[in-house]
Amino acid sequence: MRDLITGITRRESLKRLARIGGLLSVCGITGGVRAWGAESGAPRGFLVEGVGTTPGYEVRALVRKVFDEAGGMKRFVSRGDVVALKPNLSWARRPELAATTHPEVLEAVIQLCQDAGAKTVRIVDHTIHDARRCFTLSGAGQVAQRTGADLVFPRNSLMRDMRIQGERLDVWPVFTPLVEADCLINLPIAKTHGLSTLTVGMKNWIGGVGGRRYALHQDIHQTIVDLAQFFRPTLTLVDGIRVLIRNGPSGGSPEDVAARDTLILSDDPVAADARAAGLFNLDAASVGAVRLAAQQGLGTADGKTLDTRRVTL
Amino acid sequence: MKARRLVRIRRISQAVFLVLFLLFLVESRLPQDIYQNYSLIVSEEDAGLHIDWPVSFFFELDPLVALSTLLSARVLVEGAAWAAGILVITLVFGRFFCGFICPFGTIHHLAGSIRPAQKGSQCIQASRRTPFQRVKYFVLIALLVSAVFGLNAAGWMDPISFLFRSVSLAILPGTGELLKAGFNALAQSDIKVLNLLSYGAEVLVAPVFGYGHTGFQTAAFIGFLFLFVLFLNRIRPRFWCRFLCPLGALLGLFSRFRVLRLEKDEDACTHCGRCTAHCQGAASPEPGLPWQPAECVLCFNCFDVCPEDALHFRLAWQKPRLNPAPDMGRRAVLGGLLAGVSLPFLGRLDRRVTGVPDPRLIRPPGSLEESAFLQRCQRCGLCMKVCPTNAIQPTLGEAGMAGFWTPRLDMVQGYCEYTCTLCTSVCPTGAIRKITVREKIETPLRIGSAYVDRGRCLPWSGNGPCIVCEEHCPTSPKAIFFHEASVPRADGPGEAFVQLPSVDLKTCVGCGICENKCPVRGRPAIRVISAGETRSLENRILL
Repeated sequence: MRDLITGITRRESLKRLARIGGLLSVCGITGGVRAWGAESGAPRGFLVEGVGTTPGYEVRALVRKVFDEAGGMKRFVSRGDVVALKPNLSWARRPELAATTHPEVLEAVIQLCQDAGAKTVRIVDHTIHDARRCFTLSGAGQVAQRTGADLVFPRNSLMRDMRIQGERLDVWPVFTPLVEADCLINLPIAKTHGLSTLTVGMKNWIGGVGGRRYALHQDIHQTIVDLAQFFRPTLTLVDGIRVLIRNGPSGGSPEDVAARDTLILSDDPVAADARAAGLFNLDAASVGAVRLAAQQGLGTADGKTLDTRRVTL
Repeated sequence: MKARRLVRIRRISQAVFLVLFLLFLVESRLPQDIYQNYSLIVSEEDAGLHIDWPVSFFFELDPLVALSTLLSARVLVEGAAWAAGILVITLVFGRFFCGFICPFGTIHHLAGSIRPAQKGSQCIQASRRTPFQRVKYFVLIALLVSAVFGLNAAGWMDPISFLFRSVSLAILPGTGELLKAGFNALAQSDIKVLNLLSYGAEVLVAPVFGYGHTGFQTAAFIGFLFLFVLFLNRIRPRFWCRFLCPLGALLGLFSRFRVLRLEKDEDACTHCGRCTAHCQGAASPEPGLPWQPAECVLCFNCFDVCPEDALHFRLAWQKPRLNPAPDMGRRAVLGGLLAGVSLPFLGRLDRRVTGVPDPRLIRPPGSLEESAFLQRCQRCGLCMKVCPTNAIQPTLGEAGMAGFWTPRLDMVQGYCEYTCTLCTSVCPTGAIRKITVREKIETPLRIGSAYVDRGRCLPWSGNGPCIVCEEHCPTSPKAIFFHEASVPRADGPGEAFVQLPSVDLKTCVGCGICENKCPVRGRPAIRVISAGETRSLENRILL
């Protein structure tokens, strides 16, 4: 069993090295060329908030606009990449009940990835309810069919024990398609949660592991941060089109849902979650995982150091 | 018609119906088309989750299912016209169902003839009629009389129910476990090719054998019984059909009127015994012996193998209206009556039906009130096979003796998914009536209620925060609510500030996902009991 517990694969580490090398050489050659959002030269994170203000706006158009503002999907996805998307499809609920990621957000992101030249786009989630029912009811199945993206069903043989190397979690079974990707995009929906106050991006990674997930709640904030530092997505796009303002994270009644018409895109997982707290009129510091993650240096909670932009449609 | 051709038609028919049976059995699952637009279906008034295949077709064909339910619940089951059709055809042709259709009969036929245990003249001896063939009439009478008195236990012995239960609850999951163990071994391998191979094989195999691990209470017993019944073919070919099958007995009774009769040419016969050796029903086809129309399963073997052309099947409309009465034997009849009367009353002595229900007896949503349920349930296992979470299990003692093998939800195995009504859409006899998702949620149909075991609950016992139950509770508003309080710490002096869960009985539907996801395994800290179920006026909790 020992040899199964792998940190990252050799292929992955070579790829990362190559990427870092490539980046360094590009920086070296084109030193003066404008690095996106970095006036001082030091790379800075970014956060783009997109708000649909006109009635009847198209969600897909808002997604495209947000990504355009961030420099386009080509910045993050290269030709031939395998992209793994991690929406929140935990519950067998209709999309309008806001327990799962908005299917149009999912669809728009898939199309952007495909337009950027991605070889394969995978929709990956280890759901709570039966995956088949979650994928159909949430609309993800139809999105996959329309776009040709792969729907990956959670199954034992795709779980592999890995070193999480967190404060609290050591070795834990991980849903491998999430780590075997060139680009990982987190697509959470923002919802209230009885224990962790909110479930947005970082908590979404509980859907990326298997094993005794129900035991994570005994130290929920730290385990969320542990998982977030393990997965480290390329991007986080928070679906705040409709949010669950009570009875989360499962909801179940239209009365639990509120329209916020907001998308938050960031390469800083902590900043994205902190910003999403605003959708609930909450102080980011009141969300335990955000506070803890900022303390442990996973990202910034106040967003001051980020290049923050806002677009409307 | 030529004998050879008749036998060939019989074999084709047997093969077609066996394949159909297995196909419907495999398709008795959550629809695999994940691309269909459920969102629209669910929001409509009356449509719910449904399976496109006619998975209960063989139960509709089965006259014993229809007759026993008619006697016990005094209703005609859906699709009873098929069963009536079978009976009408039996009036003309005899037990053609046994010879041409019954998938269980086909399996016995195969098991008995591929490698017969008997050699040479033993074959003739093994297929001679014996008085023990009366046992099946005893079984039939006992089951039907028992049904009249309100206990429909036909499914214990009904061949379609027996086969469906055995294959879907034991043989299929057993084989699946074997295959999955192999794939997991491959997937754990460090050799990439084997990894890929295991994924590929899993994708091919999982739709048939299920994606997760399925398990059923008493499955080992069900599987063993099935193998034992197959083994009996070594003693006598088609042992089950000749000696035990109540459906065969029922169709045998109707064969009294059959017009398709065997005509024997005694002069041509050389008494070589081949007809007897190949007779599937031990119906004494040999000239010189009285032919038993009630035992004949229409295999047409005697007709086919006779070298002297001494045997013929003819539609004899005019000759005596009735065939000789089937040899039931007075003892079998009286014994059947006695057993049939005692079974329901003995079965009720544990007072599971009339008294306080077992707290573990959580019936699927839409189930009828307990006595009405037992009048209909065939214990066929269809609801257990379709349940996507594997929650529905055959009972051992939870429903009392009378309810052995009826369905119950075990929330440690699975849970009742809030927006799922699959089990209600397949029940062949309506023991679980058809309900819509809307009806299930808006009524709400409760199957039980949850309660917190404070001694084991992590927050209540001061062992730390948790409330996984509250997170998973699917109702809106949630039936599990919490209040924040300080409790004495389990690991030392001082107090811990935690959220303590409680159950709101007005909202709880007993779906059991809280019990299923509770970190305390095996005997979780929050459990569902049947108290509070909608179907029983007796067992409700609130005023």
